[in-house]
Amino acid sequence: MAMVGVVLLHVAPPVRAHHAFAAEFDVSKPLKLEGTLVKWEMINPHSWFHIDVKAPDGTVVTWMIEGGSPNQLIRLGVTKHTIPVGTPLIVETYLAKDGTNKAVGRNFTLPDGRRLFLGGSAPGANPNK
Amino acid sequence: MAIFERRSKVLGAAAGVVLVSVTLAGQAPASHGKPLPRTAWGDPDLQGIWSIATITPFERPATLAGKPVLTEEEAAELEKQTLKTSNQDRRDGAGTDVDLARAYNDFWWDRGTKVVSTRQTSLVVDPPDGRVPAFTVEGQKRATARAARGYDSWEDRSLWERCITRGLPMIPGPYNNNYQILQTPGYVVILHEMIHDARIIPLDGRPHISPAIRQWFGDSRGRWEGNTLVVDTKHFTDKVSFRGSTEDLHLIERFTRTDASTVRYEFTIDDPKTFTKKWTAAIPMTNTDEQIFEYACHEGNYGMVNLLKGARVLEQSK
Repeated sequence: MAMVGVVLLHVAPPVRAHHAFAAEFDVSKPLKLEGTLVKWEMINPHSWFHIDVKAPDGTVVTWMIEGGSPNQLIRLGVTKHTIPVGTPLIVETYLAKDGTNKAVGRNFTLPDGRRLFLGGSAPGANPNK
Repeated sequence: MAIFERRSKVLGAAAGVVLVSVTLAGQAPASHGKPLPRTAWGDPDLQGIWSIATITPFERPATLAGKPVLTEEEAAELEKQTLKTSNQDRRDGAGTDVDLARAYNDFWWDRGTKVVSTRQTSLVVDPPDGRVPAFTVEGQKRATARAARGYDSWEDRSLWERCITRGLPMIPGPYNNNYQILQTPGYVVILHEMIHDARIIPLDGRPHISPAIRQWFGDSRGRWEGNTLVVDTKHFTDKVSFRGSTEDLHLIERFTRTDASTVRYEFTIDDPKTFTKKWTAAIPMTNTDEQIFEYACHEGNYGMVNLLKGARVLEQSK
């Protein structure tokens, strides 16, 4: 059985998605953003979270953070109101290559360290998901 | 409403993200020699919402050469290992291309958690080695040119990236793997969630349209062979390509209800300009109680703008 496990470890399908992440975002530019949600564009093919990030000097910059297709979340009972505007978020990102305030949302967490988890508990959610 | 959770979806899914089988009210189960469900007008009933999400690889990995089917234990181990390796919440390798390619947290993805019910080791079933046959010389030249495409224009990008179509045949993807089949006397409709394409396939024996007319989804004609719906598609536009196929692709799809919760979907790729021989893949479609939602892709495709702008910025920095 152990032998099977070793062999099968190499069978995992490659990550495929709607577009090439390495072409849109820069792996050499990771950035951790801490801010509050001001808008969630729950749109296809990719959702976009807009978060306001306050700099040490008090100025506020709005960042757009890319997420995935909302269809799966809708199936799980999530709506664009599931995460209320004003929710504080910490997002580990990679910046967009175009130099604007955009990034891919590699990992969303709350300030207390809990990882963002959408689905399973919202009304209409599939409990098996 | 709890929206935050310490565990990842994948870990939670160990208890079983399983495609739900549905008992069809008022109809006898198809298995164990009992009759298959039929429409009111007597055709085999393929209707429902079906998922093709699976972790079974398209081609058989070299590590499983000579092994067409997994045992139950091997399948369980493969599922366990795949869920671990494909968990998008893992952050080992942060700062590497692998981490960037994982893109988003795991809750966005729906690539399935199970191997196909047949436990075949690849979706490709013919040739028997489970691998797509070699390209012809011409096919290889086109594949090489395709691989070299960059980001000069949106036209260099795939039709899926451009939100035009996911195309044919139906193959599992990382999300939106649901399809709905509807039947009326004389027609079958197949709705694709990804890019919300709909195919309306006549069954009345009419001939194909003129080959002078080329379409994104080709021109499909269906017929029943026993309990199997056979859909014959020709006359694709040269703008579409499946794994390098040309506009001369002849696609033959077969849909067979094998039990109350399964339709066996099989497709054969016949394109002598591209492949050295015909080849076939088979994917069990599993009935699901999930709904299909619109995937209005083009209007929100900021990613395409970002890709092209990023490429221009990189050009200027060189």
